[in-house]
Amino acid sequence: MSKVLIVEDDDWLAAQHRRVLEKAGYQTIISPHALDAIVMIDSEKPDAIVLDVLLTGSTGFTLLHELQSYSDTAAIPVIICSNVADSLSLEDVEPYGVKRIVDKLTMLPDDIATAVRGALT
Amino acid sequence: MREREGQSQALGDDFTLAPVVAAAHELKSPLALVRQLSFMLEDETLNLAERQKLLSQIRLTSERALRLTGDLTRAARLEDAMFELEPINPWQLCDDIVHELTPLFAAHGRALTIRPHRHPLLLVANRDLLRRIVMNFSDNALHYSEAGAAVELQIKSLQAGKIIRVGVRDFGPALSSDMWRTLQQKLATAPQTVHARPQSSGLGLYIAGMFAQAMHGSIGMTRHRDGATFYVDLQASQQLSLL
Repeated sequence: MSKVLIVEDDDWLAAQHRRVLEKAGYQTIISPHALDAIVMIDSEKPDAIVLDVLLTGSTGFTLLHELQSYSDTAAIPVIICSNVADSLSLEDVEPYGVKRIVDKLTMLPDDIATAVRGALT
Repeated sequence: MREREGQSQALGDDFTLAPVVAAAHELKSPLALVRQLSFMLEDETLNLAERQKLLSQIRLTSERALRLTGDLTRAARLEDAMFELEPINPWQLCDDIVHELTPLFAAHGRALTIRPHRHPLLLVANRDLLRRIVMNFSDNALHYSEAGAAVELQIKSLQAGKIIRVGVRDFGPALSSDMWRTLQQKLATAPQTVHARPQSSGLGLYIAGMFAQAMHGSIGMTRHRDGATFYVDLQASQQLSLL
């Protein structure tokens, strides 16, 4: 079973992502901030990461940079799920391991599971 | 995201897009959350308790968004409106806020408390504006505090009793020096979208500052190793000393 790390500082939205992903057959872990997520990535070794950008403390971009600093974490596919998706271009963030961008404002619940599935294949 | 060039150009003498962009940004999060939570209600496998929990989350999230829209409306009318400054017991006001916000904090697994103080204090303020400032700081603290942590309302007497400080202390991730500098800038300038406490555009702080100024007070922030205190300083009332 693939393990997905959800990095989301809104605990209710994180629970929503967890519900959808677990229903789709994924194991999930949640981290509310980027710094905590870095520790969790080392210990839990997730297969994919669902990442909010505007996080409490360091932003999701800090985490993306950190992931690219190590060969083992650079290979983890990332799905950005953000309120500012319309300001991001996949072309710009692909070099940071981002495979999909999901817009929180327009997404349907299953879009997260679809994006993770797509990123893992 | 930084604002794109041109987004804050003036439209006439008294209107700029910057607050509108900031307001739109601030309202995105609660509206997106309400939308997602409402999708979950369509799940037929949910039991009654789960359904009630989702409904409660939708209601509490909507109330947070409505508080922001209420503050915006109040701020827009601030210069035109007459409002009364009166002696107010800050402890009583904070106690009312604790009662009002406790369901929201409890739903997020957090607590809101008041630090007791020994002597009765009175300050001069407009009750509605002061309430909005403390509610605003409390909403902010809820978002930035660690799960399971308490947010504390604090009332202090400063400058030999001339100033009363009402603060909201959160216990969350430490602020980096960069964030600290950006937040200090937010306290002093018009709202602008930045990545400091990134979900915030600074609009809430900007409005709180406007409300404080209207009461001849000011707002500020103290950084701690494990969080921050946002506060409003107001003139103490002389009524107690006359008794």
